[in-house]
Amino acid sequence: MIGIAVTRKGKLLRGKSPDTPLLGDADTLETKVVEHPFSFRGSEDNELNALIIEAVNRMGGTGADAEDNYRRALDELGKRAAEAFEVIVAEYEALPEDRYLDRWSLVHLLAELRQPEAAGALNRIITSRIPAEKARGSHDASTVAEEVIIRTTAVEGVVRLSADGVEEARKILLRHASNRTFSIRRASVQGLLETGEDTDKRELRALLKERGEQSLLRIKRVDVREVPQATGGRFVTHPEVKREAPSPDLGREAR
Amino acid sequence: MATCTYTVPDKSASGDNFYGAVICNQAYVDYFWNTYGFSGNKAYWDDGWGWDDACNTSKPLARAFNGCYALTYSAQDYQNDSYSSAILNWGRRYVRENIDDLRCFCGDGTAIARSKGSGLIEVYLGFFYTKDVPGRAETLIHESRHQGGKPHDANFPTGSTFGGGKSGADSSWNYEGAWMYGALYLWWYYAAGARTTSALRERARQRGNVVIDNAFATHPGFSI
Repeated sequence: MIGIAVTRKGKLLRGKSPDTPLLGDADTLETKVVEHPFSFRGSEDNELNALIIEAVNRMGGTGADAEDNYRRALDELGKRAAEAFEVIVAEYEALPEDRYLDRWSLVHLLAELRQPEAAGALNRIITSRIPAEKARGSHDASTVAEEVIIRTTAVEGVVRLSADGVEEARKILLRHASNRTFSIRRASVQGLLETGEDTDKRELRALLKERGEQSLLRIKRVDVREVPQATGGRFVTHPEVKREAPSPDLGREAR
Repeated sequence: MATCTYTVPDKSASGDNFYGAVICNQAYVDYFWNTYGFSGNKAYWDDGWGWDDACNTSKPLARAFNGCYALTYSAQDYQNDSYSSAILNWGRRYVRENIDDLRCFCGDGTAIARSKGSGLIEVYLGFFYTKDVPGRAETLIHESRHQGGKPHDANFPTGSTFGGGKSGADSSWNYEGAWMYGALYLWWYYAAGARTTSALRERARQRGNVVIDNAFATHPGFSI
């Protein structure tokens, strides 16, 4: 355990008083830690539940071996994918609405497992009603955006199934090419163009023409190197640019 | 003074579990505290926010440090933070040049963070507990762009997830505002993020696309 002795021994970079006590009170936070966000009320298979927890947990890994560890966890879960899919769907439905990241992680897990049987569940997630915005006064937070991210991730799961040749997946993508939410429409159109058969693409183009939404066809997935970059350094320098210490080297093992 | 509570899952996809093990090192704590605006603000990071428990990733300070770690080390060649490189490299430089004070508050649930001017950024509960680790780095870049002199200059487009017709959007990608900086950072994280997983990179892609689709008055015409 380390403290933040840095406030006493650390080198300050600016000419201001370090950590002056406030005259008033700052906010206070109380946290309660639980092992994981899931209930597994419908699954008494502790081994399977543990595999799901491990796969979700490994999604957030960091370090040189993070991806390998995540893939290993997915592979282990994949051996029981048929059983896992129903538990994952049940857990998704049981999570409170505001656990956006936890809900997303389960949808991403469904996408990773690529079970054809999951097409219907993914479709239900995409189709489900988006609750009204809870952060109305905000310019940066949006609960609707969190909900849409969950649904576009479900679309990605359907796209993967479509790429695997699952016919139902292609039908789902075509259906959501006219979804009321723009990002879901855009993701469905791009997914069907990338993975659908010629007949699907013809139907898609006809649908978009009928709806006057052919502009969706012009939104292309591109590499980040092909788009205009931020002009670093322009409008960026604070009048009193700080002197700074170099960031610590990660060391050979972490690279 | 406000008092708030939060229930934190130890094992989740946020990344805190793993980033936390890495940042529990005096060299990183020293660097983040002094570089990204924590220094001078101990009073705000005390009282349950983690000042006396810097390795505990259920507490906000360690979770903020995790975001700082992602900001600092997600480029393969992280030691190059030249403005002629990608935003994945120089994002950290931009943040440290524009944030003087980073303070935490409970907030009222309507914002992740706010730029208050004069180098002061406030972050709220959602920053620590709704955002994943790279998402916190994105937020610091977004708010730093406001400190760097770029306010939002347009209303959100019709049908936007952020509220069609509401102010707070950027007029276009080429305006190079806070939304563009955040989306571009996520895009680079998706394309070239190092020391992370394909899952967090996919999450960055999904979030970046929702920003591109909904936060510009004129759609840029591309996606991630």
